[in-house]
Amino acid sequence: MPTYTEHDLIADIEKEEGGYKYGFVTETDADTIPKGLSEEVVRLISEKKGEPEWMLEWRLKAYRHVLTLLEDDEHYPRWAHLDYTEPDFQAISYYSAPGKKPKYNSLDEVDPELLETFERLGISLMEQKRLVGIEDKETMPVAVDVVMDSVSVATTFKEELAKQGIIFCSMGEAIENHPDLVREYIGSVVPYTDNFYAALNSAVFSDGSFCYIPKGVRCPMELSTYFRINAAGTGQFERTLIVCEDGGYVSYLEGCTAPMRDENQLHAAVVEIIAKEDAEVKYSTIQNWYPGNDEGVGGVYNFVTKRGICEGKRSKISWTQLETGSAVTWKYPSVILKGDDSVGEFYSVAFTKGAQQADTGTKMIHLGKRTKSTIISKGVSAGTSNNSYRGLVKINKKAEGARNFSQCDSLLLGDKCGAHTFPYIEINNSTAKVEHEATTSKVGEDQMFYCMQRGISEQDALNLIVNGFAKQILAKLPMEFAVEAQKLLSIQLEGSVG
Amino acid sequence: MIDTLEQTPTLREWIEAGPGDYVNGHATPFAALRARARTAFDHLGIPTRKDEAWKYTNIEKALRHDYALLDSDATPIVDASDVADYRIDGLDAYTLVVVNGTVVPELSDTDGLPAGVHIGSLREAATSHADVVERHLGQYADVESEAFIALNTASDLNGVFLQIDKSVTLERPIQIVHVTNTDEDAFVQTRNLYLFGENSEALVVETYHSASDVKTFGNRVSEVVVERAARINLLQLQTEGDNASQVNTLQIEQDAASYFAAHTYTLGGALVRNNVNAVPNAEGCETHLYGLYILDGEQHVDNHTLVDHAKPNCFSNELYRGIVDGRSTGVFNGKVFVRRDAQQTNAYQSSQGVVLSDDASHHSKPELEIYADDVKCSHGSTTGEVEPEHVFYLRSRGLSEQQAKSLLLYAFAHDIVTELPHEALRTYLDALIEDRLNAQLLG
Repeated sequence: MPTYTEHDLIADIEKEEGGYKYGFVTETDADTIPKGLSEEVVRLISEKKGEPEWMLEWRLKAYRHVLTLLEDDEHYPRWAHLDYTEPDFQAISYYSAPGKKPKYNSLDEVDPELLETFERLGISLMEQKRLVGIEDKETMPVAVDVVMDSVSVATTFKEELAKQGIIFCSMGEAIENHPDLVREYIGSVVPYTDNFYAALNSAVFSDGSFCYIPKGVRCPMELSTYFRINAAGTGQFERTLIVCEDGGYVSYLEGCTAPMRDENQLHAAVVEIIAKEDAEVKYSTIQNWYPGNDEGVGGVYNFVTKRGICEGKRSKISWTQLETGSAVTWKYPSVILKGDDSVGEFYSVAFTKGAQQADTGTKMIHLGKRTKSTIISKGVSAGTSNNSYRGLVKINKKAEGARNFSQCDSLLLGDKCGAHTFPYIEINNSTAKVEHEATTSKVGEDQMFYCMQRGISEQDALNLIVNGFAKQILAKLPMEFAVEAQKLLSIQLEGSVG
Repeated sequence: MIDTLEQTPTLREWIEAGPGDYVNGHATPFAALRARARTAFDHLGIPTRKDEAWKYTNIEKALRHDYALLDSDATPIVDASDVADYRIDGLDAYTLVVVNGTVVPELSDTDGLPAGVHIGSLREAATSHADVVERHLGQYADVESEAFIALNTASDLNGVFLQIDKSVTLERPIQIVHVTNTDEDAFVQTRNLYLFGENSEALVVETYHSASDVKTFGNRVSEVVVERAARINLLQLQTEGDNASQVNTLQIEQDAASYFAAHTYTLGGALVRNNVNAVPNAEGCETHLYGLYILDGEQHVDNHTLVDHAKPNCFSNELYRGIVDGRSTGVFNGKVFVRRDAQQTNAYQSSQGVVLSDDASHHSKPELEIYADDVKCSHGSTTGEVEPEHVFYLRSRGLSEQQAKSLLLYAFAHDIVTELPHEALRTYLDALIEDRLNAQLLG
């Protein structure tokens, strides 16, 4: 009889050797403004970034909305299945930019600290070279817009993309160089009145990425951005805006790891996607921010508003995410299916352990005729964590022939964790067809037995089963990301060996 | 302070009057419990749509109407011939008639009840079965948790008391006929306490009727205790008129190895909210919750269920089906809650809705909240139209479109009916459903 049981494995996961693998601090001089939220801070952020008047006005409008929300005790979103202390919004510094902002010409000029960071993040040397503009024609190109502490330090492939008319740059540059586009679309999918964190983000957003795909252009490479939270006590408020014109296609990757911190760091990003007629946008995320220690001390608060609108006919927006980090996650990437025959997809794996809490899911709002949506959500809980799926499928009165399929599966590793499912299904049209199913169980003893009687060790068997459970989703990630995703998931289960 | 003995206050006046003002001035025999409930109610208040549990039902708006608090002591004006119509054909049941929450022995027929079975008024039982009532009443339906339980408990506490002793098997079912009859728009509260002793077996059928056309609002709370190895089926059949609204709470407490099945049918009523909360509170329990709602016109039905698995090795199964037509709204919000210690729980939940009209809405929110790992829990929920291929098949065999739909919907509903353990009851409900669907679709 094997002596290593599932419980031992769980115990191992809990005391995972070496702690958080990506926990490190880059010692770059940071230009940080004093803590606290005020009109001066908003004006200062805007000024530091040299923004035009209209942008400042928009920020101030959002800031005033934040103020009204703060006055009202009901302002704060408390409905999620989460237990944490509301952040002190006056104890956060709302802006931090790396002290040096060099334009790199060769690798030698790059801050070695930064290169070291890239390496530990798993960005290949070649990509690092690309980041600093050294030509290398091997392997598939990936354009990386590195966001370190909110300010975009380098953007690659810009010129190559520009040849096709694609704009891929930091939000700050977009405001400077493409003000008409930004002005037209910013806040059009997630208005600052949407929720408290969207309002806060709109007032103090530091930077982010902007992507514009012109009519009929298929973006030839995966666009990717690494977000990092670096300076202690600095909230990260990115704002991403993706506009895909008629018949365009883009696959956008976002990956995150964060240094180890003891105080809770607030991250409230906003992502907006607009897909016009026949356009397709694929948005993939790997999130591995510092989850805090096993007692739940420290860790990132991840409160994100992500929403896309399928504005044109036959357009498609697909969200794929692997969520393994953060102490508290509050995130519902949504799709508004406005154009007839448009398609929305949501594929998610959420892994929680230690004292992590996740309340994540999606919203599919069907407005157009024959719109389709698919939701596949897999949750794995271990330790004393709580993992909730919360999703809305809404079929409006005029959405004839709308179709949805949702599947939410939860896997429990250990008897101290929780797995929850809160789907909302609202149907207002008689021709709608909506299916939802959810299951919750632990790893099957028969599956374990099957693997083990073929000579696979108990911990390998569990790794195999958990990976198999998540495979359906991981396979949806672009190839470059799938590797990183598998790596991440196995790191999560790593402590089990031995 | 309103002089409650002199004149009947309205619900709103009562709510505004604050603590210490008991309905109809009866402060005994449940004074302490009622006082606690009143305090709880004042704390909770009428829920609004901001409360997650009332997200899809605007109960606050429904209660803005000026309902008089009905005096359950008033002489009922219902005669034997009316009651005859309410009896279910072929059921051959013992019958208890309750008018406006008060048991009317003259209209009831409980002759031949076996020894060990007591059925009658709760208020009388408070004296005749004082210790039992004291031990159970208000122990399961928590006044702190829900405004309508608090409101009900704070009130007059009258309704049905049913006790079946250890090892008694009831061969014939019991039908409890609830009639609301009043001249003024009224708020009617009923409180029931059902105690099913160890190893007992019974089928209880509750039917609800409105004998007048004025607007009524019922707030009913039933506490059901199912002791060790008892096997109980409870049917609640709601067929009231378009002016009758209600909040109906069924709170079930199960002991080891017991079997309990609730069958909730909503075919009538204006706004109906059913709260079915089952607590399998010992090992080896089996719980079944079945529900069927067929809605038309402006009807709004909200089925809210909770299976709270507190102990290991239990099985629960939930199946709800609804058909919404006209401008009606159907809601299913079911939750399976598995506590840390409830290992080896098997819990299933399925809800299905058919939407027949573009003005009708169907909302479902099937929830799982699980804190134990060695469990098998799942839920499934579908909402859609009548499958066009199925309609085509039947049409190719000569049925009209409406006939085909009616037949398919009948089959859809029949799956719930088959779960009832009584032939005559199934026949009766099948006929009721068929008539209803034919009237709706074939006009």
